[in-house]
Amino acid sequence: MNEKLFLQKLKAALQKLPEAEQDEILMDFEEHFSMGKEEGKTEEEISAALGSPEQIAKEMKAAYYLDQVDNTSSVGNVFRAVWATVGLGFFNLVFVLAPFIALAGIVLSGWIAAFAFITALPLVIIQAMISPELFLWFELFVSIALLGIGLLLLNGMLYVTRLFTKGFVRYLHFNVRLVKGGLKHA
Amino acid sequence: MNIQFKKGVLELCVLALLNKKDRYGYELVQKISEQIAISEGSVYPLLRRLAKEEYFTTYLQESKEGPSRKYYSLTQKGRDYLNQLQDEWVQFSAGVNEVIKESEQDE
Repeated sequence: MNEKLFLQKLKAALQKLPEAEQDEILMDFEEHFSMGKEEGKTEEEISAALGSPEQIAKEMKAAYYLDQVDNTSSVGNVFRAVWATVGLGFFNLVFVLAPFIALAGIVLSGWIAAFAFITALPLVIIQAMISPELFLWFELFVSIALLGIGLLLLNGMLYVTRLFTKGFVRYLHFNVRLVKGGLKHA
Repeated sequence: MNIQFKKGVLELCVLALLNKKDRYGYELVQKISEQIAISEGSVYPLLRRLAKEEYFTTYLQESKEGPSRKYYSLTQKGRDYLNQLQDEWVQFSAGVNEVIKESEQDE
């Protein structure tokens, strides 16, 4: 690889950094090449010793983002810091798993209530068959009423669950975009 | 040698080389690569990171032979950090040597 190609590849890989930062980095490498050439090395020898420009760019970007976080603690930067240090795993544990568990708990309790209301009538009937002396008309009517409420609730829960699933999938997409975008813009 | 292992030591090497006098990037790279096999390009990200962490400052100086050179100059913060790293390294390498020595005696 000659100098021009090396610098081109490096610049391309540094695209996401601010212009001034890119220029400084490229200047360091131009200096490196010109001094190597003064010593009588060829451009190919120098670039081979430097290693892959993509790898260098990766390290440069990591250094830059870590520094960004240290200097300005804006919300965005703090989040980027969290992603850079503890990584995606921890972020998703807190920001995806926690709301998921909370919402899923509410939905689950709705379903349990609906089923409890519906099973009241069969339970009253079973009780009447096992020990008819305990049978009360009042219980029968109440359990029939509960059956109606339970069926309505069941219907409602179907709707809520669908809404919850849809909404959460959207949130997941948003989350992934947020996480992915985290290292894109400084 | 293991890459991560080398990277940790590289930091110490750079700081140690700057302890006595200011040097420019190319010079640092050559000094290190004379002794340790490294990808020379990985020294520059390290230099930028350490400069950002204020372990050294940089300045440009004209040279007779060619373009101006970027010199790196160790700050007090950098010097303190170097001392700390050096102590850790001495302890660490002494420990490793001791373990190796003992394991050879066991056989």
